[in-house]
Amino acid sequence: MLGETCMNLKHLFSRYFLLSLIFLGIAAPGHAGEPIDQLKQTTDKVLAILADPALKAPNKTKERRELILKIVNERFDWEEMARRSLARHWTQRTPEEKREFAQLYKELLERVYMEKVEGYYWNKILYEGESTDGDYGNAKVKIFTAKDQVIHVEYRLLKKGNSWLIYDFSVEGISLVNNYRTQFNDIMVKSSYQELIKKLRAKTTQN
Amino acid sequence: MKKFDIELWVGLFVLAGIICLGYLSIKLGKMEIVGGEKYEVYAIFSNSGGIKTGSNIVLAGVEVGRVKNITLENYQAKIVLSLHPNVKIQEDAIASVKTKGLVGEKYIEISPGGSEKFIPPGGQIRETQPPVDLEELISKFVFEKI
Repeated sequence: MLGETCMNLKHLFSRYFLLSLIFLGIAAPGHAGEPIDQLKQTTDKVLAILADPALKAPNKTKERRELILKIVNERFDWEEMARRSLARHWTQRTPEEKREFAQLYKELLERVYMEKVEGYYWNKILYEGESTDGDYGNAKVKIFTAKDQVIHVEYRLLKKGNSWLIYDFSVEGISLVNNYRTQFNDIMVKSSYQELIKKLRAKTTQN
Repeated sequence: MKKFDIELWVGLFVLAGIICLGYLSIKLGKMEIVGGEKYEVYAIFSNSGGIKTGSNIVLAGVEVGRVKNITLENYQAKIVLSLHPNVKIQEDAIASVKTKGLVGEKYIEISPGGSEKFIPPGGQIRETQPPVDLEELISKFVFEKI
């Protein structure tokens, strides 16, 4: 994927897909309250798709990816993420602009890192623990890679109805929302919202 | 009478001297006996990373307050921030521990959010980021490439 995205960001976001795929997931003993339960459900579903022999053929790639994305999307609150990333520039947007932005943001994240999903090597995921405070939830996860490195990931979730939806996650302490907030703010301050949208559109239509 | 006059003046000078010393001590000691009405919010960090009482709180590069105190709560650092009354923090603002330069002093940076609700006095900044261990991070991602 060529583009202006920094390499470190790419690695950061590749984790997003890592996390949504529990392959040989091993659950940690102990905590299994709601947020982690729901996270596991999502990842189990994705695993099932990856393991499905009917979808392994290369000509099934598009279909497989669409299925995976559909499941993963149900675990994310895209509008919340988009709002938090656009931050103080969000309130100045019209409802139509907000809709468009949230959609482009979602496509950006999906697009740039989907390829990494299948090609990544990892060993297991350990659910370390979770905490909830009213409608806010927090889940900590450790990913063990093929090279025996440990990656710490923390999900931040909001409860909407009965579902815990992700609105941010941090990899090794670096938050995705904070990262994009800084980048978007830089673009907004130096040029304009139109420029930002243009860049997002360019990224999502890239092939 | 004359002696009394002199003593009066001496006394006044001494008093003036003490007041000046007191003022200097307060200013240098960064205490605020007479200051604006600050308001407090708190934030929980998994690691306070060298933040001390009196550390700066910065928003968009501007100092907006100071750390009032730090306590350990449930194995995490609860940091109480004392903020300038004019500074409003959105509910989804993010507080991170940053370093001046690479090895300078630590400070807390607040990144404004997009929520229309603001954190009230005594409220909590929910989104926090502990300091990032740059070296560890680089090594992890350098060796991650397959």
